Amino acid sequence: MQQVSIAVDIFIQQILNGLSIASVITLIAIGVTLIFGLTGIINFAHGEFLMIGGIVTWLAVSAGVGFPIAVILSILAVGLMGYVLERGLFRFTLERPTNGFIVSLGLIVVLQHVVVLFWNPNQKSIPRPLTTVWEVGGVRIASVRVMVILITIAVVALSFRMITASRYGRALRASVEDRDTAALMGIPVRRYITGVFVLGSALAGLGGALLIALFPITPFTGGTMVMKGFAVALIGGLGNIYGAVAAGLILGIVEGFSAGYGFSQWTDAYSFVLMILVLVVRPHGLFGGTSGPRMAS
Amino acid sequence: MSLLAISEVITGYGPTIVNRGVSLTLDKGEIVTILGPNGAGKSTLLKAIAGLIKPRAGSIQFDGVTGLAADVMARRGVVLVPEGRKIFVDMTVEENLRLGAYARRDEAAVEADFETMLAFFPILATKRRDRGGSLSGGQQQMLAIARGLMTRPRVLLLDEPSLGLSPLLVKEIKAIILDIGERFGASVLLVEQNAGLALAVASRGYLMQNGRIVVSGPIAELRDMSLMRELYLGGVAG
Repeated sequence: MQQVSIAVDIFIQQILNGLSIASVITLIAIGVTLIFGLTGIINFAHGEFLMIGGIVTWLAVSAGVGFPIAVILSILAVGLMGYVLERGLFRFTLERPTNGFIVSLGLIVVLQHVVVLFWNPNQKSIPRPLTTVWEVGGVRIASVRVMVILITIAVVALSFRMITASRYGRALRASVEDRDTAALMGIPVRRYITGVFVLGSALAGLGGALLIALFPITPFTGGTMVMKGFAVALIGGLGNIYGAVAAGLILGIVEGFSAGYGFSQWTDAYSFVLMILVLVVRPHGLFGGTSGPRMAS
Repeated sequence: MSLLAISEVITGYGPTIVNRGVSLTLDKGEIVTILGPNGAGKSTLLKAIAGLIKPRAGSIQFDGVTGLAADVMARRGVVLVPEGRKIFVDMTVEENLRLGAYARRDEAAVEADFETMLAFFPILATKRRDRGGSLSGGQQQMLAIARGLMTRPRVLLLDEPSLGLSPLLVKEIKAIILDIGERFGASVLLVEQNAGLALAVASRGYLMQNGRIVVSGPIAELRDMSLMRELYLGGVAG
């Protein structure tokens, strides 16, 4: 009896841990999947966007700024960075998305080393913004993890609402489905591409702020995070944001479950095992993706 | 001056030249057709007019302005209903129609137009909540035309609206095209391989062959021309 209840405690805690990390990964995956859906570019530098969001939060908090303001600063800074990079670099690769992918690989190195140059390669952390730990019937729940999950749920719900119900969301989905025909409807597709880069980057900035609230980060944190974000986007179906969120949830539960039952050393591999399994059975992802943008013939 | 004036337009993809110096005009309230065999360059010309591809030379002037991108052209009132319908298959019939009104701010008029489309194309009212991809070819064509009309076009470019439709549906499309000018005040530039349909609705026509206009004139003249017969029935097409 005693033993069963301990197992359940651990289980609930691990699910919470899994979901809080999966939240951050889902925030990356949404950006990756949106940018791919509209441009065909797989932006592997998206993990670096996340890392820079974390760095901005670290700088702000170290300068004495409160965590909530630091989060907003990260969102703004990384959103602005996305705008500049889209206008300055990715815009010129729209005709050949493979070039955009290569540009993103180069950006990984550049962004990492800019951070190392100015702020050294060491681990950076901030004091936990919420230190309360709730004890509910023997289960210890860290409020900071709950905060990360709730913020992500709120942001994801807001994004969903925007994409399904608003005029802009409808135009965005139309542009993802067929860029040329969307333009024939008077939709300024180029502006939507910029918008998606800004939105995707801002979400990565938020993800970085939330990540550093959970763990210390280094200038090289982006790599593993983007690989997982990419895996989640693929599992859900590239270009499908509902799929990305559902796959993020699945990954969070799987990781939490496995850590809770003594397979924690495998945690980092699950996303990839899941990705390979899904792609073998359903090459377009669990929920069906897009094949990338259709171009003028 | 004509509403739409195309002068010496040359288009192409990569090393291939498609249109080799095409000139034509379209006036307010007109229905004009471009006829010609497969591969003559009709669809490419329409894409160039809509702003989807840039002509290599020549000018496409709409209402005195030239050289605009597709989305700007659409907002100014030149709207292409593309070959193969290109409806948004993952979106509902209603969403497809509302996308046509994307750039419009006159919300009351948009709602009124939306109701008009449902009345004008009853099948779309029935299928309002269905995915665009679940419609039949003919229904998709109705949706594509209705979506084009939701933009409140001043010029509607129709690319092969009868392609793959049954004779009964072709008849229906014919009635709709004849109605567009009166009901929606749009001029129509119609590209067709189905000469019967084109000759029945248009008042003027151009005959295109190998990327050039070879004949133009009032529709009654085109109907009688021996060249038409040769192109469509005789087999010198190409």
